[in-house]
Amino acid sequence: MSMTARVGAIVTGLLRAGLGGLLAIAGLLKLREPSVFATEIANYQLLPGIAPYLAATLPTTEILLGVGLVIFPTRWRRPAAAGALVFFLTFLIAVSSAVLRHINISCGCFGAGGEAVSPLTLGRNLSLVASAALLLYLDRPRIIPVGRPVGRPVG
Amino acid sequence: MSWLVLRTFALLVGGAALGLLINVAHPHGVRLASYKPATSCVQTTTAQAEATPAPIDVLSPTQVANLCADPRALVVDARTAEEFAEGHVAGAIHLPCASSRGEASAALDLMTGKEILVVYGNQTGDAQPVAEELRSRGGRPDVRYAVLEGGFGAWNRSGFACSSGPCPDCQGTLKP
Repeated sequence: MSMTARVGAIVTGLLRAGLGGLLAIAGLLKLREPSVFATEIANYQLLPGIAPYLAATLPTTEILLGVGLVIFPTRWRRPAAAGALVFFLTFLIAVSSAVLRHINISCGCFGAGGEAVSPLTLGRNLSLVASAALLLYLDRPRIIPVGRPVGRPVG
Repeated sequence: MSWLVLRTFALLVGGAALGLLINVAHPHGVRLASYKPATSCVQTTTAQAEATPAPIDVLSPTQVANLCADPRALVVDARTAEEFAEGHVAGAIHLPCASSRGEASAALDLMTGKEILVVYGNQTGDAQPVAEELRSRGGRPDVRYAVLEGGFGAWNRSGFACSSGPCPDCQGTLKP
């Protein structure tokens, strides 16, 4: 294994563990109080009608993606990374809209009683989007180069 | 590429389905069909409302914060325009004590469909006259009137939702 490939494997492993752990913990924290989480989603004033459905489904999906990134079989890890990217992009849009509208609400990122949405939250979400995109890129299927034929040419 | 999309979709749908199942069994699960954002409302019966005018309650910043996402609630800022521009409760309308009759009438129009009206000033007492005026002129015994305990200062110190800066979208002083 070349040096570049080795570094790539280490970065991929770290990203998987980091993002997977973060998603699983965030999902577990949200799962404790779905009603409170529903209120926090409604506070974003984007789609208040579907807030209860999002509150019921987002935490477990986050946990599943987090677990998928870390311990699922290889063929499910990349889909988990793609799902994480979709998640983080969705969160980024929600947080951006709150920051742009100057709505000072609780982020709801890690369950009830989280910090207020701020440009810092936006920056964190951007870094998560970038990390998930990088993981998706590094974990892409490789085309294995066909080696030279072994042995000396005849004649 | 298509297998990636399919498996991603399967993970998202699977997680959502699992969530719906867990929500049914969860002791603090959210009620999907009859969900309403949490409020701290105390409903008065129709008979009580007809007999006596609705009392003006004093709500803590936490109780008012719980009303933020409730479409039945209207928050009124009774401070000056300059103070409103510097920072106010997110979604509040501006109706200072010195409002004209037209502005007060416009505020009453905004009360259509509302069940809770929270007024705040710099202190608890500042909002009381505005709340009483709205209650007496509103002709809405079904509406619950309240003032914010400690005024905007207490709200701000509690770190709850605020909008700040000038309000370029506002026309006049009433729109949030």
